[in-house]
Amino acid sequence: MSSDEPRTAISGSTAPVTDTRDARRGEGVDDRFNSKLREAFGSSPFILTKFDKFMNWARGSSMFLLQFGIACCSIEMMHTFAVKHDSDRFGAGVPRASPRQADVMIVPGTIVSKFTPRMKRVYDQMPEPKFVIGMGSCTISGGPFQEGYNVVKGAEEAIPVDIHVPGCPPRPEALLYGIAKLQERVANGESSPVVVKPYELQQFSEMEQDEVVDQLADEIDEDDLAMRYNWADSP
Amino acid sequence: MSTGEEQSGDDAGEQAIEPTEAKVAELQSLLGDHVLDTEEHLNAPAIVIRPDAVQAVLSTLKEEAGYDHCSCVTAQQYPDRYESIYHLKKYADPTDEVSVVVPTARDDPTSESGAPVYETASWHEREAYDLVGIDYDDHPDLRRILLPDTWQGHPLREDYDQDRPQIVTLRENANPLLEDHRGSEEEGESDTMFLNIGPHHPATHGVLHLETVLDGEQVLDVDPDIGYLHRCEEQMCQQGTYRHQIMPYPDRWDYISAGLLNEWAYARTAEDLADIEVPEYAQVIRTMGAELCRIASHMLAMGTFALDINGDFTATFMWAIRERERAQSVLEELTGQRLMFNYFRLGGVAWDLPSPREDFFELTRDFLDGLPEATREFHDLLTNNEIMQLRTIDTGVIDPETAKDFGCTGPVARASGIDYDLRRDDPYGYYDELEWDVVTEDGCDNYSRLLVRMREVEQSAKIIDQCIDLLEDWPEDEREIQSNVPRTLKPERDTEIYRAVEGAKGELGIYIRADGTDKPGRFKIRSPCFSNLQSLPAMAEGEYIPDLVAALGSLDIVLGEVDR
Amino acid sequence: MSAGFGPLLAAVTLLQSNGATMLPEWLADVLRLDGLGVAGTAIAALIGAFVIANVLLINAALAGPWAKRKIAAAFWGKLGPNRMGPGGTLIIVADALRMLSKELIVPEGADRPAWDIAPIIVAGSAMLGFAVIPFGKIGGVQVQLADPEIGLVLVFAIASVTSVGLVMGGYASKNKYSMLGSLRAVAQNIAYEIPLIVSAGSVVIFAGTLQLSGIVDAQTETLVSVGGFGIPAWYAFVNPFAFILFLTANLAEVGRNPFDIPEAPTEIVAGYQTEYSSVYFVLIYLGEFLHIFLGGALAAVVFLGGGAGPVLPGPVWLIVKMWAFFLFTQWARQTFPRVRIDQLIEIGWKGLLVLAFANLILTAVLVGFLEGDVEFAFASLQVITA
Repeated sequence: MSSDEPRTAISGSTAPVTDTRDARRGEGVDDRFNSKLREAFGSSPFILTKFDKFMNWARGSSMFLLQFGIACCSIEMMHTFAVKHDSDRFGAGVPRASPRQADVMIVPGTIVSKFTPRMKRVYDQMPEPKFVIGMGSCTISGGPFQEGYNVVKGAEEAIPVDIHVPGCPPRPEALLYGIAKLQERVANGESSPVVVKPYELQQFSEMEQDEVVDQLADEIDEDDLAMRYNWADSP
Repeated sequence: MSTGEEQSGDDAGEQAIEPTEAKVAELQSLLGDHVLDTEEHLNAPAIVIRPDAVQAVLSTLKEEAGYDHCSCVTAQQYPDRYESIYHLKKYADPTDEVSVVVPTARDDPTSESGAPVYETASWHEREAYDLVGIDYDDHPDLRRILLPDTWQGHPLREDYDQDRPQIVTLRENANPLLEDHRGSEEEGESDTMFLNIGPHHPATHGVLHLETVLDGEQVLDVDPDIGYLHRCEEQMCQQGTYRHQIMPYPDRWDYISAGLLNEWAYARTAEDLADIEVPEYAQVIRTMGAELCRIASHMLAMGTFALDINGDFTATFMWAIRERERAQSVLEELTGQRLMFNYFRLGGVAWDLPSPREDFFELTRDFLDGLPEATREFHDLLTNNEIMQLRTIDTGVIDPETAKDFGCTGPVARASGIDYDLRRDDPYGYYDELEWDVVTEDGCDNYSRLLVRMREVEQSAKIIDQCIDLLEDWPEDEREIQSNVPRTLKPERDTEIYRAVEGAKGELGIYIRADGTDKPGRFKIRSPCFSNLQSLPAMAEGEYIPDLVAALGSLDIVLGEVDR
Repeated sequence: MSAGFGPLLAAVTLLQSNGATMLPEWLADVLRLDGLGVAGTAIAALIGAFVIANVLLINAALAGPWAKRKIAAAFWGKLGPNRMGPGGTLIIVADALRMLSKELIVPEGADRPAWDIAPIIVAGSAMLGFAVIPFGKIGGVQVQLADPEIGLVLVFAIASVTSVGLVMGGYASKNKYSMLGSLRAVAQNIAYEIPLIVSAGSVVIFAGTLQLSGIVDAQTETLVSVGGFGIPAWYAFVNPFAFILFLTANLAEVGRNPFDIPEAPTEIVAGYQTEYSSVYFVLIYLGEFLHIFLGGALAAVVFLGGGAGPVLPGPVWLIVKMWAFFLFTQWARQTFPRVRIDQLIEIGWKGLLVLAFANLILTAVLVGFLEGDVEFAFASLQVITA
């Protein structure tokens, strides 16, 4: 089951591996920073560029974080907020419980099949522009649990991630570095290149018909949102 | 000070042969025809029974033989059969154990449910159904518990294909009481409101989902829905070799800094399984490290409980984190890591105390000297605060009998007056040589659970202090940190063992069945939080939402351990 | 400060007792808008309102994103924002811009006009309350926009409009947590509005007027003089019991710990404001802080002599007192656990309300005897016996 063994047979999968890999990289510049004004003017007049720069500074200088604990890393995340490491020094230390009021989602832990649709939903509930920091190995690849039958191989399978902070778990200093890097990128107007994810929520009736869908046809309503995991395609 | 004397494992096993036979005879006379066969597990005698006699046997054992603690239910697959094992104990004497083995046919694994006898078996059997696929007749609510409802297959079966695609839904949850209202009221207007608390909610301490039905502000029905952090820990451990590959995983079960306590659970089980002795010096270091972990873990428990009651990030929470940082810096000196220590080895610990030793002792003593002041602050802020008392006394009450029925252990049980602590009752490590007390409270409520944790911190500090004294005076040429352990461990085929230690949250047990290779055939984790969480409905139904939140906080669950 | 306090207070009192012009009148005078008739008065009033609103916005902006975090950091033993500008103050700019530029999400099924109006009511009602608050005097100008004779009643009426905003917002969000939060807000506001007003009522009996400037003027005398240090006749000193009742009820009125149950972050996520993002969230956030300041200003005007204080002009003192109340709320937030909804209602109806009425009647009796109005005193006594 280890990932470095080549796979000879892909059982039950509907899409070839290359689809997933290509889908991870979108084209062109991410437009989530672009203001309505710029859309209206179509080009980049001097004043708007300056304005954008200013706005980027504002976004990079202060961030509300989503109070979002998943697993082991959330303990270190708490420590990052708290007294010794004090991420509020950098303007990133106010956890908001409601996703509507958060800018940054730190994904602190292993993501499993049951939780992914919920995480996706929480991510969708956050207002743009929003950023994601993947904290820990589990959000990069599944980490120590990569070979588990239930473990999603990284947060990027479901939502775009701007910054990966490796470690198991990363020390608070490492997370602070990740936050600082994110702020730097936001202030420079850069954002994540990842726009399309392999695991999407979709209506059950719109899923491609195959064996699994047939089996579940009785259990799931046509209108229900569902997420389909092609484990064989996972990296 | 010869090494090995304190190692009770197999010594005790050999000495206990006579009593074991007597016990088996006694059980056979008690149960009569129900006993098909007897087996010998390393920890206890096992009796094999028919799948349709489970309730009869369990209730006899519970009522007449006094086995009031069903600590775990293990399900596993053999080439020719499925097996459910009920690990029974007594709260009064946890060394008095018996295992009830229920084999079922391979083509139709159906057995009678033990849930009507032991409430706690209900969730354990749901897990067995979910992961191994054994059906339990007469179970009150047999559905998947860890995996999503729409999951296909049972992943701990040998023929499970891990590559098959799966579909997981995101759909509305139904109000389980709605039907009742339709029955009673003509027009179907419901008085109750269904509320999903979690899986992303500030009070759930992770990714727990509470399906709650409210009548105004009062909780009518609450059903914990777990599995949002099911990381296949058992599978991971079954894929690792005994010697080195399993030890990193226990750190990640109860990740609230209780790493060494969890590692000890595995170390103890595997050492008893493979007959490994641990040098006394290493046992003292283990004891010290484990108690440091307990302090760190209880600090966070108090901090988050204050967070639940105060409702925001407040001084209490931050000050608790500050104390935790201190404990963690000592642990970091000792193990080299802040959270995931991976410090224990089978037969000892990874390395000796950091040098210069004096600096380490000074750091630890500084930490211990600061603790009384810190606890005084917490008493000022929390326990002596009238509003806090107003909020927590007589809320979230669970009486001792109910707690036993749910298999509650650890601070939750001790706050209900159950005097049960494996460190004293089933001694391991160096605990029986040290001076300390088991803390109990009789309040059964949220306040008692807070008090128990605060007083346990003081006891842990006492233990650490004694360990430091011992380590300071330890002769330099007797500092053996690891015994001689073979490079590859291959315990004999079909040896089975269930061993538990007192984790930060309660009885953390591990069942291992060896299959003759260097990896376990079955590795089952008995998580204290899993059982403690199961008692939440008993505590919270009929209370207000804030008390539900407080009760959840006082249980101090950690989802990594609940879901594994 | 101690020795010079008495004479200075006397000097200020002297200054204040000179006939003062109201801020809009003064503005109309200075800007020569008299010629425009009614329109001129209106323009002058608008300019005055603009000035006062901006002063308050600056205060709220300072309090919300910066001071609150700094104060909390001091309680926790950490630093708080310190990288953006001097002392981290530029975080105010960054926070405001960032939040205003975020996407405004309207939940599906939101009750649209109500959902949009609610944040405006929350912020607006708190701001409106300041229209009648006397900020004290600068050089003979009474910094106050309007001084109606029923000022005290008006300001309570306006402040309680906020709860309408909370209910609307919570109900219109179509979120169960918001709904719970708004229901809690109603229960809490009803339970605490009455003790608040009744305990302020005892002051009205002393002062004999509902006009806020009148209440302030009634507190200018010296109560006792101890070694040249004159303790002014602020009602907080005259009737400390009423002051404590008022402060407690005020904490509940502005929804701070231990009475922050309409928000209750660990129980119901963020209560009525769960679904609000971007501009609306800024408005609600601003409204909360304005509301705290309004509570502080009321406490200052009714119990702490309004803008009275040595050396500095009146408005500065009033703002200092507002901040003192803000600090008090933050202190309470750090230390007090939150009470449960049923306990909150119980404390409100069975505790505070009874005490507030007892205080009112005793004050009435006392004032009646002191002022020789025996009939009034007996009437009050009859109320007690009844």
